[in-house]
Amino acid sequence: MDTTSIDLDTLRRLAILQPESASTRILSLLLCGAFLVAVLTLVHRGRLREEFTPIWTAVAVGMMIASVWFDSVRFLTWAVGAWTPSSTLFFFGLVFLLIVSLNYAVRLSGMSAQVRLLAQEVALLREQLAEGERAKGDAAG
Amino acid sequence: MGRMSAPPAFAILCEHFMTPHSATRSRSVLVIPALNEERSIAKVIAGVRATGIDVDVLVIDDGSRDATAALARESGAHVISHPFNLGYGAALQTGYKYAVREGYAEVVQMDADGQHDPAYVPRLLAPIRSGEADLVIGSRFLEESGYQMGSARSAARVFFQRVLVFFGGPHIADPTSGLQALSRPVFRFCCSDFYPSDFPDIDVLLLLHRQGFRIREVPVHMAPSPPERKTMHAGLKTIYYPYKMLLSTFRSWRTKPSPSAAD
Repeated sequence: MDTTSIDLDTLRRLAILQPESASTRILSLLLCGAFLVAVLTLVHRGRLREEFTPIWTAVAVGMMIASVWFDSVRFLTWAVGAWTPSSTLFFFGLVFLLIVSLNYAVRLSGMSAQVRLLAQEVALLREQLAEGERAKGDAAG
Repeated sequence: MGRMSAPPAFAILCEHFMTPHSATRSRSVLVIPALNEERSIAKVIAGVRATGIDVDVLVIDDGSRDATAALARESGAHVISHPFNLGYGAALQTGYKYAVREGYAEVVQMDADGQHDPAYVPRLLAPIRSGEADLVIGSRFLEESGYQMGSARSAARVFFQRVLVFFGGPHIADPTSGLQALSRPVFRFCCSDFYPSDFPDIDVLLLLHRQGFRIREVPVHMAPSPPERKTMHAGLKTIYYPYKMLLSTFRSWRTKPSPSAAD
């Protein structure tokens, strides 16, 4: 019995073409659906502003497409040189999280600059107000 | 006219700071949001003065990097400057908050780029003063005004008109018009958190309609918007804007009217 007769390419093809399981597909569809409903509910309650939602809606819709049309994941696996669809999903999941964190870091930097400006303006206004009060007090006394 | 009570916390704050009407003050304030409009702002304010209408002029400088605020002040307008850019909707809301605090009865809003003719201000205010409407929109499309709009934008306009009617709103010919007049209950209502920072559109109209406010359109003529406006809807925004508008209209539709609107 010759165990080395399967070459690596065939092995990789087998890994990529491994059949998807129906229960995984249903679970992932349910998760995406729940996620979309959660986004809509948060927007409706006013706890999530519309401008923050596109990325989450896109992820949920993308995941739905990937669950229904699993060949797209197989194609991606082949294209990025991975061996299994699951590692492709993990790879893109990580890349996505990296981008999202960087995006939030940028937004946070912008906001801290705005808060500093606001605090300075308030401090200056407060000083101006106190100065005015003092001048009024001096004039009266 | 007292159809609405304000959102509670804000109302208390406003009534607290509200100053009595001084003799020199008009009953209406003209709010002009402006971002980097140094080329047109002085002309726009002079145009308002030339009509002789009795309104106070308030320019909201939304973090301009040019001489907009200084020129507006020179032209005799009252100027409020945001420390940084907050968006067109936020600038309007600053105007509403000022109008609430200062006790104005009506707000008229107008763009700073010279697209709107201040001669229409009395026509906008008339239905509010006669008690026929709470919000009056100066509409480019009510009669043959010869206003030219690109085909993509008019397709979008028709689409959003239908969306508004679909969600149970009124038919509004020109929902994105920046030339509007608001009664005090309306601008007081618009001081709450729901009001968008970017562009108030059919989402706000639907919410106001559901609150029981009467919306009326009057025909006006407008100059075509300056070319740089067109880049606003370019690229990604052509996808993002309809998405965001559908989402916020859905939100308006799901929001229950506050009970005080019933009386």
